[in-house]
Amino acid sequence: MVVAQANSTDIGIIANAPLLWVLAAAVFAVILIQSAIYMLAVKRNAQAADMSQAEVNASFRAGGVAAIGPSLAVVLVSVALLPLFGTPPVLVRIGLIGSAATETASASLAAGTMGAELGGEGYTQAVFVVALMAMSLSGAMWQISTLVLTPLLGKGSDALSRVNPALMSIVPAAALLAAFAALTITEIPKSLAHIAAVVASAIVMAICLVLARVLSQAWLREWALGIAIVGGLIAAYAVHHAGFGAA
Amino acid sequence: MTTAAPDLEALHRNYSKTTYLWGNVTMVACLLLATAVPFYLYFSTDLGIEVSHIVTAFIAVAAVYGVFWVVEPVTYFPILGPAGMYQAFMIGNISNKLVPSAIVAQSTIGAEPGTRKASYSATAAICGAAVVHVLSMLVLVGLLGTWLVSITPEPITEVARLYILPAILGGVTVQLIATLNQVRATIIALVVSAVVVLLIVPFSPPLVKSFATAIAVIATIVITWYARDRKVRSSSDTAHIN
Repeated sequence: MVVAQANSTDIGIIANAPLLWVLAAAVFAVILIQSAIYMLAVKRNAQAADMSQAEVNASFRAGGVAAIGPSLAVVLVSVALLPLFGTPPVLVRIGLIGSAATETASASLAAGTMGAELGGEGYTQAVFVVALMAMSLSGAMWQISTLVLTPLLGKGSDALSRVNPALMSIVPAAALLAAFAALTITEIPKSLAHIAAVVASAIVMAICLVLARVLSQAWLREWALGIAIVGGLIAAYAVHHAGFGAA
Repeated sequence: MTTAAPDLEALHRNYSKTTYLWGNVTMVACLLLATAVPFYLYFSTDLGIEVSHIVTAFIAVAAVYGVFWVVEPVTYFPILGPAGMYQAFMIGNISNKLVPSAIVAQSTIGAEPGTRKASYSATAAICGAAVVHVLSMLVLVGLLGTWLVSITPEPITEVARLYILPAILGGVTVQLIATLNQVRATIIALVVSAVVVLLIVPFSPPLVKSFATAIAVIATIVITWYARDRKVRSSSDTAHIN
């Protein structure tokens, strides 16, 4: 039994329970096992794709190197989120399976239904567990539909886009844009420091993307979110300590 | 390299069978382990959480992301191929890490998008990305994360905790707008969201606030659909969509 109190805001005490570490380690192990099996499958059957062993190894290496930047960016975000969710939940949800943006937004929405906001006064252990439950169940739905849809898509992959190509090209983009626009604008009325974080992060991202294009530096695009987050936090730090922070 | 064609097909069937079978097995295992995390917390603590709290929170999340449970797998399938699907939806960070890794690998060995070679190359690339990602997460977050937080001065941790969400959202929104490059949908989304969040929510019952994002999403989809450029659609037969 873990010592827990509904009104306590000490998330770490329950979020770092030993069994959760075991579960997180098991998820990592499953992913490594999958990668090993898949790599063997590619190596053994590469000829079917007119691919040499050298090309198989080159693909593996290129994928690994390309992942270094994004992985460190995810590490940066994960470390920043540790106080909110504890280590094992951050490893499983933000490090793997989901992404920082999706999971933080989901947790924020879930906390909102309890009348609390992430990291705010009302962010108790109870709110944390409800938020983690909601983001985990949502993540589970993603995987369930992947399990169901992949074989179906394999059989008739372009059937959906044939039925209504315009619908399929408009709905996902509009939904993504609206979700992030609404979530971002929700931060605006909270405090001047929140505005500073949003604006600085947006400006730093825009600069990174422009520089990445002008100078043809692809790594900058991979690193952009990590850099933007640091920029946003620095701006928030300055405004917060100037006395315009969250109440 | 004079292997008969039927043998190559047998090899490809073998590849498909292995990745399909083990993709399913590993994904179900991952699903059960990851979902056990909140359930363990729920049953091992006594925080007075009611099932209705969880249902309401889940509905609020589902209202925003429910469409993506289906749309994302459909969207990524043509890029990742069947084998890559089972990898991507376990490893996560698909658009910011896995898809770029696959594209880099394909261009490294000169595999044409849409070919079998591209799909095999993507699978190998995602394996490489998975190994790098798992190691960096285990070492830098799992082992050193708490230490990294502990050596960070309290005022900085506090600022990070309070403002991490707006610091992520500002950047992600800009990156999203730049990646999608859809001016009309972007303007509609920004205007609709501003109206819903800043004008409607403050003058509505608290319940509306929980679903503000969902309202903005649905309104944006409907308006974007009716305001779409119909000329583009009529010329889509000629494959000059952009």
